Amino acid sequence: MAYFLELLLNGALTGLMYSLVALGFVLIYKSAGVPNLAQGALVMTAAYVVWIFTSYGLPLWLAVLLGAVAMFALGLLVERFLLRRMVGQPVIMVVMLTLGIEILLRGLVPGILGAAPKPLNAGIGLSPVIIGDVFLNRAYIVGGVVALLLIGASLLFFRTRLGTKMRAVSDDHLASWAVGLSVERAIGLSWGIAGIAAVGAGTLWGAVQGVDWTLSALLFPAIAVVILGGVDSIAGVLLGGLLVGILGSVVPGYLDSYVGGSTRDVVTSLIILLTIMIRPYGIFGREDIERI
Amino acid sequence: MNWLKKTMGSATLAFALAGGAGTAQAQDDTIKFALLQDFTAVYTFVTGEYNQGQQDYLTLINEEGGLDGTMFEAIVRDTGNQPQRGIEAYNRSREEGAILFDFLSTPVSRALVDQVIQDEVVLITALHGRGDASDGTTFPYVFPMMATYWSQATVLAQYIEDNGGLEGKKIAIVHIDSPFGREPIPVLEELASEKNFELRAFPYASPGNEQSATWSEVRRYRPDAVFIWGAGGGQSVSVREAIRNGIAPDSIHSVVWLAETDVANVGADVMTGVKRFEAVATGSDSPIIQRIQEKVIDAGKGAGDSANVGTTYYNIGVATMAVSVEAARLALEAHGAPLDGPKLKAGFEMISDFDADGFMPPVTITESDHQGGGSGRVGQWDGNAWVPVGDWGAAFQEIVRKEIEAGAADYREGK
Repeated sequence: MAYFLELLLNGALTGLMYSLVALGFVLIYKSAGVPNLAQGALVMTAAYVVWIFTSYGLPLWLAVLLGAVAMFALGLLVERFLLRRMVGQPVIMVVMLTLGIEILLRGLVPGILGAAPKPLNAGIGLSPVIIGDVFLNRAYIVGGVVALLLIGASLLFFRTRLGTKMRAVSDDHLASWAVGLSVERAIGLSWGIAGIAAVGAGTLWGAVQGVDWTLSALLFPAIAVVILGGVDSIAGVLLGGLLVGILGSVVPGYLDSYVGGSTRDVVTSLIILLTIMIRPYGIFGREDIERI
Repeated sequence: MNWLKKTMGSATLAFALAGGAGTAQAQDDTIKFALLQDFTAVYTFVTGEYNQGQQDYLTLINEEGGLDGTMFEAIVRDTGNQPQRGIEAYNRSREEGAILFDFLSTPVSRALVDQVIQDEVVLITALHGRGDASDGTTFPYVFPMMATYWSQATVLAQYIEDNGGLEGKKIAIVHIDSPFGREPIPVLEELASEKNFELRAFPYASPGNEQSATWSEVRRYRPDAVFIWGAGGGQSVSVREAIRNGIAPDSIHSVVWLAETDVANVGADVMTGVKRFEAVATGSDSPIIQRIQEKVIDAGKGAGDSANVGTTYYNIGVATMAVSVEAARLALEAHGAPLDGPKLKAGFEMISDFDADGFMPPVTITESDHQGGGSGRVGQWDGNAWVPVGDWGAAFQEIVRKEIEAGAADYREGK
């Protein structure tokens, strides 16, 4: 029972950290209607940016703050020089563009800043939190709390006047233009906010595993989270993350040593396939979403 | 921007390595080594330092006058760990006259094994590629030249045998779920039945950034010793998770891919006691590294950040070129210039007890054994540096040899 509980709780916390990666994806989709396949590379880039600041001796909190500013600016630049040309274009073109950004960042950033794993010390001790015979990963507890805070802040943001405008832009670019909303500004802002979410995810995952290109591979579980939770739902990110994390922990925990291989990626793939077949708009997604 | 230099081709680099000097004859006889490696994808954790060590060693030889005036040229290109790009880079380098290739990528090396055998040029596969290529009769132009993963596992097992014994022990191998991660398992299983210890494998998903479920299970298994078999960022995650789950650092034994970057990630104090397989000495004390420091680095001719000199992967890169240059020296002595693939192959097979002044275990390569003996040693992180805790040596090679022969037989049968 203790083993099951440990897998369950660590899986839930890991899932919340996946949610943090997925949050950037949903924020952009919810605001701009753009499926952003570059979110994994944005998380990796954000981790590199924070690492640069810490390598100059800045405390982590200041590095994160400056990283958030830098990534917000990067998000705005991506929108201004790349995405703006795509307004009104078929969604497949936008998907391909974000895929191109993903590949570019994944090659360029480690190429310039060094590909060997970089240390990112978040000051989180290695000793686990022990409850009975259950060991909880302290880094995942911190990650889970940060994820909950950021997800909560995002939920509140979309209840503000600005958030409402961004949802309107996502619904219909032409109608938004017609009523005087700035589509460009809304989309730019969503990319900027996704950049900030990437700083949260990049810092926490970078502290767990070091900073290198493999952070971009977090896109895969993040995609499973948004498909399961609903591609336009922030609450869905929370539930999707918890389910993906728990299933990705409990199932391999019982099966791996018997089948001789890691089943976590199989579980994640099955989540994606079954959700699309059974409930294509996800648990909390809107049914009228146009998919490609 | 080192990557940019590498991807822009080799012309400038080649001139720099050759020192822009030498007679016309010497330039005609220039020995070209193609270092076509993965600077931008999977092997990025090692390639930068490894390749820098290779280039610096060739520069050293050129600065010291080459091999009786015969200079070396390094052709450096990025393959991105993609066989298609590797094949393209191979063909270009072949046209430019390269006679030795190092891809430092298992997928690219495997894709080109048949081609190098057909073209009769040398492929070195130190610490990567297929272990069964140690069978020189089946793979005449492929040279693993250092301990295969099978030999690394047996050296680590021998260390445990020498320090408390294997019998009755519970050993966990925690590995990335890939052919590389699974590679040592058959050898360890055979060893387990021979030495009466219990072995259990615990796979984790690639790339290894999340291993908590795996280590929860390992903790409940209560192993006496743990082998970690991964690479890159996954290795520091493994060490962290092991320690977090109460496994003593000194019972952690790693494959060769655990280095200074992992120590920095985990924390130098936390890591104290962790052991690893070592193929080459680490640090700057060896005569060979001292020569590089004096004649290459201090002279401003190094290929990268001088802080990398003496690190684990830098030194492994140096060792690969030390063996290759030794092969070229023997080949020139026996067959004269200009060198070609068959002459260089013969040079490799003449190498006997070569240890580069104590920098690496004595390597002896024969027509049938291209592994070079399969020796190494165990090193331990003492809080400040990796220090050896045993002598150079090979272990249980009869078991390793069985794996090599079985793999080579499958290759011959087209499996």
